[in-house]
Amino acid sequence: MWFFVIGDLFIFGVYFVSYLWFRSADHALFLDSQRHLNQDIGVVNTVILLTSSLFVALGTAAARGGNARHALRLFGFALACGAAFPVLKAFEWIPEIAAGYRPGTNLFFMYYYVLAGMHLCHVLLGLMILGFVMRELRQSRAPRIRFVETGATYWHMVDLLWLVLFALLYLMR
Amino acid sequence: MAFLFRNPLVAVWALLTASTILSWALSRDGGVTPHADIAVTAGVLLIAAVKSQLVIRYFMEVRHAPAWLRRVMNGWLALLFALLAGIYITSL
Amino acid sequence: MSVPAGSFASAAGVPVRPWYRSRKLDQWICFWSVPFFYNLFGLVFVPLSSMMPPKSPSASTQQIVGFFQGDHLLIACVILTLSLGLAPVSNAVYLTQIKRMSVSPAFRVAFLGGTVMGAIVGMTFPLFCFGLGAFRPGYDPAVLVMLYDFGYLAFIGSLGCFCVTWAMFGLAIILDRNRILPKWLGYYTVWQFMSELMAAPIWLTQSQPFGWNGVMTFWFAMLVYVPWQFIIYVWIYKAIKRQPEDELDNAPSRTRVRQRDTAGAAP
Repeated sequence: MWFFVIGDLFIFGVYFVSYLWFRSADHALFLDSQRHLNQDIGVVNTVILLTSSLFVALGTAAARGGNARHALRLFGFALACGAAFPVLKAFEWIPEIAAGYRPGTNLFFMYYYVLAGMHLCHVLLGLMILGFVMRELRQSRAPRIRFVETGATYWHMVDLLWLVLFALLYLMR
Repeated sequence: MAFLFRNPLVAVWALLTASTILSWALSRDGGVTPHADIAVTAGVLLIAAVKSQLVIRYFMEVRHAPAWLRRVMNGWLALLFALLAGIYITSL
Repeated sequence: MSVPAGSFASAAGVPVRPWYRSRKLDQWICFWSVPFFYNLFGLVFVPLSSMMPPKSPSASTQQIVGFFQGDHLLIACVILTLSLGLAPVSNAVYLTQIKRMSVSPAFRVAFLGGTVMGAIVGMTFPLFCFGLGAFRPGYDPAVLVMLYDFGYLAFIGSLGCFCVTWAMFGLAIILDRNRILPKWLGYYTVWQFMSELMAAPIWLTQSQPFGWNGVMTFWFAMLVYVPWQFIIYVWIYKAIKRQPEDELDNAPSRTRVRQRDTAGAAP
């Protein structure tokens, strides 16, 4: 999984750099478009992902300590937080699309939807992986710690990518 | 509640959340016409870099990882933010 | 196991057959059709038709008409027409190896469907578009502009068709327990899948970086794809080499079976 995580980080790294490259060519357009984003939902989503990551980290520690039931509960909280992310994303995107801010509107919105969409795919995959980790914790008498750690690493990567994305798309001026 | 914060993971989480809210506050400009603001951007990017480092070190547990992995992750972070900051500054 | 390359002997004790009697001959033919096919493809798209690297989506009508009147576009279309059939042959090599993996047959069926769809949209459509422009002179310039748009959108937008293919291939490699191909290659194939998803925005915009000649949609996808193609090729080679002969599922020839049965019944 580390192979995947590192490669993924570099791929997103290229996306981030290209975003800044094209942004730099037209600050005014990007700044003006940025105003139409819903920063509040962005912040809530960031905190949600951070909290979810915390539960995953705590759950991994619990699984390592041999407390599978406690770990299962913590991973359940993590999954619940993580599942709120796409829901909030929908609340964020649908009004924006309805208001006419679509991917084809301008370069900023193209980047906004493409990058966040790519990240959203990672979130959905991550939720599935968390599900598999929970199944492992519930069903197997001696859960494979390596498997739990692998799933956790992936989920933290999703969190990490969002932190950078949030700063680039919503916050920077 | 205090017992929770003795767990380093929870402390890291608190720090992450607080800095998220800080960077949000930093970036709000009360409806004035936006302009490229190097102070805000520098602050936001710096906070993002620190947060990323915290996630890598504590959540992904890279601080206990083999040296090559630590080097790769630190290298990625340093390279990424150096490029982002470099592109931004040269464009102003 | 140090089998010299070129001799098609397999593991322990199996008599060395000349290459033309190798039981893996079918797979080797498919395998070597890949470089042949890709070289033809490269020849067609880069020097002959100069379609690649992609021309600008916002080219003027005059430029587009000039492109269709290019000297070699006709030759390019002829070669492409004749070589289209090589696509299934070269895809058979992946399919045969997926069949050895411990995954549901759904993976290889979906893989097959994806490659077929990709070949139709990604090769046949552009062939028709550019072929019509090249073989049937006298179209109105406005029609040529449409053909140009259609051809390029199909050729590069069809990267999306390959999403299914690579997603299935990548997942099969990751889930496989027979270790036919290394796991990291499965992850690499998943990135391949991701970078192809990036082709979707070319429908929405004509300008950099998301146009069909854009940094994000085309060049970066190529940067991921080209090394992948070479790497997968080397590993497929190794996988065919390693495949034990008794695992080949070519049905034995009837006469051989009859001989064996009578031999078994004799004593």
